Amino acid sequence: MPQYTERSVSMSRILIIEDDIPIRDELAQLLQNAGYETVIISDFFDPVPDVLSAGADLILLDINLPCINGELLLREIRKNTDIPVIMVTSRTNELDEVLSMSYGADDYITKPYNPTILLLRISAVLKRSSGTQHSLSYHGLSVDTAKGCISGNGKEILLTKNEMIIFRTLLDSQGKIVSREQLMTALWDNDEYINDNALTVNISRLRSKLFEIGCTDAIETRKKQGYVLL
Amino acid sequence: MSFWRFFRDRLFAVCVFIITWAMLMIFLLALSCGISALIATSSLLLIGGTITLLWDFLRRRDFYNRINTSLESLDNKYLISEMIPDPDFADGEILRDIISEACRSMYESVAEQKRNTVEFREFIELWVHEIKLPVAGLLLMCHNGGEKAAEYVPQLMRIDDHIENVLFYARSENAEKDYIIKEVSLKKAFSAAAMKNINALQKRGVSIQAKGLDVKVLTDGKWLEYILGQFISNSIKYFTNEREPEINVRASVTSNRTELRFRDNGCGIPASDLPYIFEKTFTGENGRRGSRSTGMGLYIVRSLCNRLGHGISAESVPGEYTEMILSFGSNDHLKME
Repeated sequence: MPQYTERSVSMSRILIIEDDIPIRDELAQLLQNAGYETVIISDFFDPVPDVLSAGADLILLDINLPCINGELLLREIRKNTDIPVIMVTSRTNELDEVLSMSYGADDYITKPYNPTILLLRISAVLKRSSGTQHSLSYHGLSVDTAKGCISGNGKEILLTKNEMIIFRTLLDSQGKIVSREQLMTALWDNDEYINDNALTVNISRLRSKLFEIGCTDAIETRKKQGYVLL
Repeated sequence: MSFWRFFRDRLFAVCVFIITWAMLMIFLLALSCGISALIATSSLLLIGGTITLLWDFLRRRDFYNRINTSLESLDNKYLISEMIPDPDFADGEILRDIISEACRSMYESVAEQKRNTVEFREFIELWVHEIKLPVAGLLLMCHNGGEKAAEYVPQLMRIDDHIENVLFYARSENAEKDYIIKEVSLKKAFSAAAMKNINALQKRGVSIQAKGLDVKVLTDGKWLEYILGQFISNSIKYFTNEREPEINVRASVTSNRTELRFRDNGCGIPASDLPYIFEKTFTGENGRRGSRSTGMGLYIVRSLCNRLGHGISAESVPGEYTEMILSFGSNDHLKME
């Protein structure tokens, strides 16, 4: 039977299918720290019913499993449900990736992975599956990520691509500390390879733009930890 | 086989024949035979001797010429035993038996070596996948373990780099086909390589500019990521402190080729070293100074490129830049072995 951690209403629930116990436990820890609820499967003999009954919003699936191959399991899962699946494997070869994608995986990540990148991919896949939200809101302002503009209070400001990525990353974990490393990784993941100085510049420009539209002190700096969007 | 060579071989027999003939003549003269009897005997002997010699020569020439032609047409010369025609003379038969025996033994040991190589490579692949698990576990622990634990991450990334080198070295040396050629976006491959090295790049404060990478090329995605990763880690190794480190990547497309130029503004490569940078274990002046070079990275890169059918070259002005140039043909996969 799947093992559950405490459940709350708003959290996304992630099912971890992984046979390496230290990795599984650390992964669960990582996801819980990031605000997800986790479910673990530890019996790999005919796991399909357990997978389906777990009620997960996303599945992290290892390819090398005892009893069953992850790719086959993926195919079985796909016969029954469209839950997003991210394949996680230590096999660095194109064949496994092509196979997994053709069986309907949503993403493919090789071990050892950078945990920040894994979290980014998870949130990207979750966002995609819940229907892309181009318009978000922040303190009564409407945020259009596709157009790159924030409007409200009778004003409108335009953000550059970098500023929008930063704003969106902060908005996704509003009220929580986001480290510079997380912001940087999000930017790089969108092919914006900026360096440390450029990040500082982008954040101060974002601040002054938010100031223009009436949000004073929207982004707070936490020394040595990162930034918080209030 | 030329007649002259054959004749030299039979020189002793010819000499014995001539001496026997001379003695026979003396003997016949002593028996006071007529001159015509001498001529008739001589002619018969000469005709008989010549026919024997020629017949011997011709059948040997046929046999050896056929072997030689077969030998030239073979890539693996040790397979010649299968191509030897049936000789119709005794020493030819002995030769054939010896060659067959020698070749069979050779073939068996070649096959065994091949089997060993394949087994060894399979073991390496398996080992690489196994060793990556504890590395992945440690990386997660470091991430969950707070500030102190995060200091271990660069060392883990070093371990991972060395593991990747082993994997791709094994792949580049082996003739097994284990790649998949499909359309790969240069942007996606470069992004994956950059993301893998994100910590090291940011620690060094590198600015990256990527232009025109929205191009698809025919290659194996994972191999290309490894190749680009090697370029990046080489750049990180050889940046100088004299200026802000920069990496500039751009792709250009012509009618039948796509070229990816990867340039860094590091210390550059001396002109005397440049022709050898893709050689196995070549470290050059930079490598000796840095002492962190194994001379394997670019060698593996070139082997992978050769197997995929991509072109690879390098340009550099010492003290200014190094540029690696990868070129993809639109039909490289047709040229592959």
